[in-house]
Amino acid sequence: MLKVEKLKKEFKSGDTEVKAVNDISLSVPTGSFSVIVGKSGSGKSTLLSLLGALDKATSGRIEVDKQDITGLGDNQLIKYRRNKIGFVFQNYNLVPNLTALENVMLPMEYAGVPAGTRKERAEKLLNEVGITGDKQKRKPTRLSGGEQQRVAIARALGNKPKLILADEPTGNLDSATGRLIIDLLRQLAKDEKTTIVAVTHDEGIAKLADKTFTLKDGKLVS
Amino acid sequence: MGIVSRGVRNAFRNVIRTGSIVFILAISIAMALVMLLSLKSVQSKIDSVKSSVGNTITVSPAGVQGFNGGGDLLTTTDLNAVGSLPHVSKMTETLSDRLTPGTDTTLTASLTPGSFGNRQQSRAGFGVEGGGGRAERTFTMPIMVTGVNDLSVAQALSINDLKFTSGSAPDMTKDANSAIVGMDLAAKNNLKVGSTLSAYNSNIIVAGIYDSGNRLLNSSFVMPIAAIQRLSNQTGQVSTAIVQVDSIDNLNSVKDAISSKLGSKADITTSQERTDQVVQPLENIKTISFYSLIGSLIAGSVIIFLTMLMVVRERRKEIGVLKAIGASNIKITAQFVVEALSLTVMAGILGTVAGFLFANPILNALVTSSASGGNSGEGGPRGFGGGGGLRFSGGVGGVGNTLRSLHAIVGYDILLYGALAVLVIAVVGSAIPAFLISKVRPAEVMRND
Repeated sequence: MLKVEKLKKEFKSGDTEVKAVNDISLSVPTGSFSVIVGKSGSGKSTLLSLLGALDKATSGRIEVDKQDITGLGDNQLIKYRRNKIGFVFQNYNLVPNLTALENVMLPMEYAGVPAGTRKERAEKLLNEVGITGDKQKRKPTRLSGGEQQRVAIARALGNKPKLILADEPTGNLDSATGRLIIDLLRQLAKDEKTTIVAVTHDEGIAKLADKTFTLKDGKLVS
Repeated sequence: MGIVSRGVRNAFRNVIRTGSIVFILAISIAMALVMLLSLKSVQSKIDSVKSSVGNTITVSPAGVQGFNGGGDLLTTTDLNAVGSLPHVSKMTETLSDRLTPGTDTTLTASLTPGSFGNRQQSRAGFGVEGGGGRAERTFTMPIMVTGVNDLSVAQALSINDLKFTSGSAPDMTKDANSAIVGMDLAAKNNLKVGSTLSAYNSNIIVAGIYDSGNRLLNSSFVMPIAAIQRLSNQTGQVSTAIVQVDSIDNLNSVKDAISSKLGSKADITTSQERTDQVVQPLENIKTISFYSLIGSLIAGSVIIFLTMLMVVRERRKEIGVLKAIGASNIKITAQFVVEALSLTVMAGILGTVAGFLFANPILNALVTSSASGGNSGEGGPRGFGGGGGLRFSGGVGGVGNTLRSLHAIVGYDILLYGALAVLVIAVVGSAIPAFLISKVRPAEVMRND
């Protein structure tokens, strides 16, 4: 279960104080596929960053797997991200000079998984997302956008996270590939018993969600 | 794949840029190495010069000018007082004499007077006989004999090195009729080790034959001082004493103490001035080397720092991603340190090779520019002057010779210091920017990209 209570993120832009996330409370059931929608600048990505501990909230509370992350120190946040969160980005954000296999192995290496085990799991995950054989040894530049996003999904699942946060995961893909990616994400999340929260503009994807949250000007409107 | 292999691979992401950085860094490392070698070589030479010529005092009888008289020789009693002074570590005494071939010795001189010798002797009023309008030269070169009590102090004979071509030196502290003979004199008189030569109406055994590198000294012979004093009826007399002081810092105080003991009996000169002449250009090179070394190290540090700053800024987003997927600040920093180390090690290898190749040419260039203002070329024969007897000068070399003999000294310590410097440059230069950027929140760097 992901639980958010009265979450706020404020920052200054010149003399103006911007409330990027304004008093948001929500809860996401374990194993569900939830979507956050809203116009550009509505605070979707900021909210996702706060959930993933990529940024610190001004106030409020975030509980993931019964752990309040808002009071954690830097080192604990790193552990939290490493062990409980998987990220999928719009631009895939794979490390360019590593192969697909090495990219998937990377979070597991940070988590201290033994080399043999992480290779085995990375190959399994890549096979599950459809990156097989020689493609696993290719660097990101030699893979298509859809293939890169598949690798990113495999990487996100590497440490068996409780929560996968996907920021516009289909934003750079054509609709057919995007649909395939979402289906894949949902299926893998089901198999791995992982909760998914995705930010999207795509209404088609929103329709597939178990739960949809709509943001407007930093506030949750529905 | 671990941090190390990732760091090494990252170093080759952009081969052209890597090559350029390695090349520039290698130049900086080579320069630092050359300057380090120069510093060590120059320091070693300064120490050597100071210890060999810098801490001696020459004590000569006052007013005595060669064999032309003008004063009384020093006595053993005088010098015993000098020897007991504080900071005097050693004293070498010499007594010189000249033997007239055919009168004082059966030996034939190996030197000829030459135009200079004949002119000098003609002015002195002897050596030329008139006859039928034609001048006949009757002057023959005397044979010099020097008595010493210690051959190990070069200044006693004013030579750099005394090499024995055969035989060896007798105990110079004992009164014995034995001698070491210069190679030219030995050749002229067909002397070998074990041969007997006649001088002072006595037989003297040849114990060794030497090559001093000095023609004048190679045409003379050397005996224990006590033997010369006895044979020449100059018992207890000394023509020159070389006083060795324990440290160059005590030179002036010992000189003053000797002046106080001997008063107007002796002329006292220190090697301080001569040392200063030799050491000054070396100090100049040392200063240049030191500042160049610091400059090179700073340049190397700045190169690697700016490079890594550029690399880290370029990869801010990647760092954000790494942090997002669970990399700790230490692991991110370590990865960049390894990357910087890879660049630096490559540059270090190239720089070391280049440094060793160019060390001596650069050192020579430094020597040439530094010596041009101060190469007085002290040295060369001074004839028969000084000390009331035979003085073979020019042995200590002079500035030019000292600098010409300067060579880069390569030791394991230099390599170790060099490697350490390279490591420090790489670690500091990469760790600081990597650590600073790793402290940034991932959302911040990912948003900004």
